[in-house]
Amino acid sequence: MVLSFKSWVANEGGKHFVLVLWLGANTWLFLRTFLTYSTGQQYYYLYKMLGLGLCISRASASVLNLNCSLVLLPMCRSLLTCLRGTHTVSSRRTRRLLDKSKTFHVVCGVAICIFSVVHVSAHLVNIVNFSAGYSEDLPGLNLARYRGEDPRMIILTTVPGVTGVILVVILFLMFTASSYCIRVSNYEIFWYTHNLFIVFYIILMLHMVGGALKYQSNVDAHPPGCLSANQSSPVLQGEELETGSDEERRCKEEARFHPHYPQTWMWVSGPLCLYCAERFYRYIRSSDPVTIVTVIRHPCDVIEVRMLKRDFKAHPGQYIVLNCPGVSSFENHPFTLTTCPTEEKETFGIHLRIVGDWTERFTELLLPKPGVESEILPMVQQRRYPKLCVDGPFGSSSEEVFNYEVSLCVAGGIGVTPFACVLHALLDGWRQFRLRRLYFVWVCRELQSFYWFSELLCALHHKLWQENRPDYLNLKLFVSQTEDLQSMSEEKYRPLSSRLSIGRPRWKLLFDEIGNANKHKRVGVFCCGPKGISRTLHRLCNSSRYTGVTFEFNKESFS
Amino acid sequence: MGKIEWAMWANEQALAAGLILLTGGIVGVAGTFRGWQFAAYAIAAGAFVCLLEYPRGKRNKGTSVERTGQYCFTVCVKSFGPVTRNYYVRAFLHAAICVPGGFMLATVLGCVCLGIASLIYLGAAIRGEQWEPILPRTATRKAVGESIKQPPQNPPPRPPAEMRRKRAEDLEGAAYVNPVDVTANEE
Repeated sequence: MVLSFKSWVANEGGKHFVLVLWLGANTWLFLRTFLTYSTGQQYYYLYKMLGLGLCISRASASVLNLNCSLVLLPMCRSLLTCLRGTHTVSSRRTRRLLDKSKTFHVVCGVAICIFSVVHVSAHLVNIVNFSAGYSEDLPGLNLARYRGEDPRMIILTTVPGVTGVILVVILFLMFTASSYCIRVSNYEIFWYTHNLFIVFYIILMLHMVGGALKYQSNVDAHPPGCLSANQSSPVLQGEELETGSDEERRCKEEARFHPHYPQTWMWVSGPLCLYCAERFYRYIRSSDPVTIVTVIRHPCDVIEVRMLKRDFKAHPGQYIVLNCPGVSSFENHPFTLTTCPTEEKETFGIHLRIVGDWTERFTELLLPKPGVESEILPMVQQRRYPKLCVDGPFGSSSEEVFNYEVSLCVAGGIGVTPFACVLHALLDGWRQFRLRRLYFVWVCRELQSFYWFSELLCALHHKLWQENRPDYLNLKLFVSQTEDLQSMSEEKYRPLSSRLSIGRPRWKLLFDEIGNANKHKRVGVFCCGPKGISRTLHRLCNSSRYTGVTFEFNKESFS
Repeated sequence: MGKIEWAMWANEQALAAGLILLTGGIVGVAGTFRGWQFAAYAIAAGAFVCLLEYPRGKRNKGTSVERTGQYCFTVCVKSFGPVTRNYYVRAFLHAAICVPGGFMLATVLGCVCLGIASLIYLGAAIRGEQWEPILPRTATRKAVGESIKQPPQNPPPRPPAEMRRKRAEDLEGAAYVNPVDVTANEE
């Protein structure tokens, strides 16, 4: 598929621009610090003792400072939700950048790891040079206590050495637990090791205490390279002594060295306080109790939970994080809202699929075993529901569906949940939206899955027909498992069964159809589903098949 | 809550530690620092640890994600049988390998990281985890004949369904025989 420049810029331009800015900032910082240490007068003697290792270690340290402060900012989710929701950031292009906050966090994290390796290697070389190049002339500059001191002893007996080792160990634990494999299979390991970040930051701020590297504080009185009183100039031996310049080059006093004032806290304390404040705010907000109103069991292992919480406001497309102390005190699981609270109805709901032990245990607490009660009836309020804490709502890319004139929403299986909320908003809370046409494609493995939202889809279809806007919602349902012949036989679901196709959708044809019907428009493509589908759609959005139409790709990451 | 598989994390750590040990060893030999023999040992040890830890084990529950190209390593590691399957062996092996790395500055970090990995392997072994190889599943294709519905028994022309359905009062006159007996009032 040929890339189109215009489509590529629309989809990828913003991200790459931010990446280039970030790379530029890092490079500038690295080079500036490197040059300061290699050419600065106050580091002349230190540079002579340590060589290139000094410059590389300090330059990588300044890059680490920058990245350690930046890495926290994308994780302030409530703040980002505010920025997104209140349209403080008014341009849609800038709001789309907020979708990539987790990617930016990962990029900064990887940079921290790489530059830590550089920093540690350079400092190991420095320690060897401190030990081998012990200077008797400049005793104030030395870190080693005597010439040839074992470098490992230097590490273990200085504050920067010990804190450095602890920081490397913590970083190693955090890094190895962050791989995709571990996050998917044992999320708790990732979560608990990543929460060691607070220890990491505290020790990081103490890392420079004790000042291993010193700068010369009296450069004016003792210009580096000057000759001390009992030294004769080696260069001018055997040449005419020019007493005038020789006098100028004599030192007025001994070189004095002063350790650096720790700087890391200036970089890091702001974002750290912001993030801690955010966590505290989220904790307070989620401690407000939540009442479970109804629990409904749907086919294909899905249950719907309707809840009530005081002062809870949400927009379609946002998600909440559930914590159930009765199941596990520390586990938090994100679920997209399928019903948002409105003025008429204050309850909000989620649909959750039972996969994994937390959801299984949660369902056991909510519902009796199947077979005891009939499946679709709502539970009578005899049961005592477990205590539930809800944190959120948090923003996601699906909030932008209403901000395009034409939107294509592609859902795979349970990925339909953000779009279900959008459809509810169209059905119940109709406002003057910018959205004029919505293409809704839902691909499921089994036919029974469509019953999760069959009522909603039929009701919306009916309402739009009554209001003489039949082309507002274009519904296409696909069943990907082709083994058995299936159809929805109920009469009331006729709008759905007539739009149902067996087999996987053919995306190129779909995009052709949308492109032909909506020329010279910007179509927002929203995908929430398996990776295969989102990759195909992303490629199609960037390709050049469709003249005059720009497809902007927005992916909801459903992790 | 739930079974955490510590061995998977220990595997990631051991692989990373092996790489760190290897890098430290290369630096130590290249600079011919004091104690460069330890660095040479670290290169060999690091390479060995990487090869041993590259193939990921199979998860107890759920889909296992393979590393790229790990199949040949899986076969090699599997061939050692219980030695590589047991995590106690791996824990003590890593602990033993990491000790000489502590004698030289360049390989100290590799030693520390491998020591942590060996501790986590010990924890995994105590919990009874084992290394299972990820082998490609032999895809069983259903025979084509089963997925196509049974062809009709009667030749055309076939009477409509109401006529074809067996009536309780006239069991013998029907055009087919039930494999299981049915009664008139059964729903």
